Amino acid sequence: MTTELYKVSARILLLPTLLVALGVMVKGYADPGDGFSAGVIAALAFALQLMVFGPGELDRLPLIRYVPYAVFLGLIISLLTAFVPSVMGQTLFTHWPPAGDSAPRFGTLEFITAVAFDVGVFLIVFGFGVGVLSSFARAEGRMRTSEERVARARAAEGEAGNTT
Amino acid sequence: MMELPLGILWFGAVIVAMLDGTRRRNAVLSIVILASALVSTLVLGADVYRNGTQEMVVGGWEQGVGISLRIDTLGIIFAVLSQAVLLAALVFETANGIKARIFPALVLFMGLGLTGVFFTGDAFNFYVFFEIAMISAYVLASYGETPRQFRSAFIFIVVNLLGSMLFLISIAALYHTTGRLDMVGIKAQVPLVAESPIVLISATIFVAFGVKLGLFPFHFWLPAVYTGTRASVVAILSGALANIGSYGLIRFGADVLPRELEFGAPVLLILGAVSIVYGGVQSISRHSANEVLAYSSIGQVGYIMVALAIGGEAGVFAAILYTVINGLNKALLFLAVSMRGWLVGTAFAIGAFSVAGVPPAAGFLGKLVLFQAAIEDGSWAIVVLVLLGGGLSFLYMFQLYRRRFWIAGEEEEESAHLPQVIVVGMAVGLLLIGLWPQPLLELADQAVLGIMGTDTAP
Amino acid sequence: MILALSLGVAVLFGAGAYLMLKHDLIRLIIGMVLISNAANLFIMSAGLTNGAAPIYPLGDETTDPLVQAMTLTAIVISFAVTALVLSLAYRVYVSHLSVDIRELSRAEEMQADRDDEVGQPDPEKLGAPYTDAEGDRRTVAQPPNKEAQR
Repeated sequence: MTTELYKVSARILLLPTLLVALGVMVKGYADPGDGFSAGVIAALAFALQLMVFGPGELDRLPLIRYVPYAVFLGLIISLLTAFVPSVMGQTLFTHWPPAGDSAPRFGTLEFITAVAFDVGVFLIVFGFGVGVLSSFARAEGRMRTSEERVARARAAEGEAGNTT
Repeated sequence: MMELPLGILWFGAVIVAMLDGTRRRNAVLSIVILASALVSTLVLGADVYRNGTQEMVVGGWEQGVGISLRIDTLGIIFAVLSQAVLLAALVFETANGIKARIFPALVLFMGLGLTGVFFTGDAFNFYVFFEIAMISAYVLASYGETPRQFRSAFIFIVVNLLGSMLFLISIAALYHTTGRLDMVGIKAQVPLVAESPIVLISATIFVAFGVKLGLFPFHFWLPAVYTGTRASVVAILSGALANIGSYGLIRFGADVLPRELEFGAPVLLILGAVSIVYGGVQSISRHSANEVLAYSSIGQVGYIMVALAIGGEAGVFAAILYTVINGLNKALLFLAVSMRGWLVGTAFAIGAFSVAGVPPAAGFLGKLVLFQAAIEDGSWAIVVLVLLGGGLSFLYMFQLYRRRFWIAGEEEEESAHLPQVIVVGMAVGLLLIGLWPQPLLELADQAVLGIMGTDTAP
Repeated sequence: MILALSLGVAVLFGAGAYLMLKHDLIRLIIGMVLISNAANLFIMSAGLTNGAAPIYPLGDETTDPLVQAMTLTAIVISFAVTALVLSLAYRVYVSHLSVDIRELSRAEEMQADRDDEVGQPDPEKLGAPYTDAEGDRRTVAQPPNKEAQR
């Protein structure tokens, strides 16, 4: 499965996939797409690395160790979009800017509450996806030792026939 | 600031989730967060009590368009009860030494889910908060990580996930038939649409909440889970999480779908009666303490069903009171039975009396109100049933007390002090409610008025 | 369309329920996933109307966006639950080298028997908190070396 072709294309695809994810996230206000799908796309980019290069790969990539913490960051960002208006005396999740006002722009990107919320959702989904993948991959290593341990214990008990 | 308890719990849970919960410092932080949420809920409750139901539509949308938070006295009662039970269990576990780093965060997330369930006015939002609470419960059920706990956690997850799916399906069906998702809107629309689909939906909702409660035909997961996990987790599951079931039945039955509740009253009555007898008889035949208490929970839930089946204002009033007292009873008993010492024994005895309905413990109040409702309804069969159930519970509680606190003891050392203090404090609370029930009665009365009366604002 | 959708929901739910009756935990989890998807499909069918995508309503009749939002939420929730249950199944596999629920309960029984006979829980298979056997005190008492298990 891990021929050179797979390896090279997996490596080449990593950055473009992340860019597509970013695009999906910021385009989601007039076109299909949102933080959730962007998060899934970005996590899939890392799933591909994991499939091609094996379980140890995610630990070798830079910064991947800190990605699971993105869940917390994302949760806090999303929660802030909900609760900051409530601190300012409006109802939860009140949209900024108010209806009718124009939003500050940077190119075609508008800075509105929904964007902040979506960034939060992206971070949650991305962090969750990568976190689950990398912890399963890391557990795979531990599994081997544990398998041996239990097998030894069963052999010692003389009931090795139970292992399925 | 009606969303303050939710805000405190939500931010608190996220922050605590990042920290190592086995450290005492972080556990204390989570206790402080939960306590401040409880205080803010109480403040909010005082406001709701004085000024009536509070409502807010999220995002400044129109009523009926956006998701609404709707806080009435019923929600406040259940939120305070659940947070108090969670707080007691969290302090208990902290005093005994927390073994898993995620435990305090899970308790906070469950508090958030429960508070959200009790505060929301939107049926789908109800499901979302409900799942937040359930997912934390799934993880909590495997806390301890022995094979027995894994197996019981699996049973718990599978059964409750099925229950959640049924609930989700019934919400979608309600939306399909009424075109609304806010509970006020559904309540207004239900009399205008065809009756038969709504009856089917109500049956599905009943099954979904019956699974959560551990009512008789849906109880099979309950003993396995309650005997498989740790004392604090069982206290949380039985004293806080199970409230979702009775709250859901009261909210969706008595508030949103009253006609269907009346229609299904015979079924509720029969299932409740079978639950009471089955739970009582099984409890007597069991030996391990947690098993006795688990079957006892099945029996106690039966009373809530019977109260709902009696219906009317008196019945719903009795159901609310009984749920509150039952939650406190179960939390106290599950915590107390895991410990040793004469103080704990006394606290356990008070809890046992409360379950059996012996004055002056609070359980007497619950039974009394149920009696009143039954007599008002003129059904002597229910009176006999309640008496029979009370007799059975007195029997198994006495057996359990004898086995646990009279005979045993000499070889085991007494438990640590702080957990004992918590259990004794809960017992004193039960006694206080029994001796001075006026505030609780008045609150429950207002809650009934809020859901049965035509106008929400007094 | 209604018929097709309800058939789809029924088949998904039935297949899921069938898989949930299996002893294998992995099949059981797949059954759970199928049932969640049956519920999601049901939500979609609850608000099914013919119309344009509800992103830029340009005059035409749009479909109901609410059911789509609900379905998305439900999908995310079932995604989270599935991940949780899979990790739980993995932990079971790590400690038992099996994902058969009968194996698990047999291990539990063996554990209980051993505790009963010797009074010494096997440190390898983290023991049950107490035994199911009769005998007044031992049933409810914590085993003396409970701390040693972890």
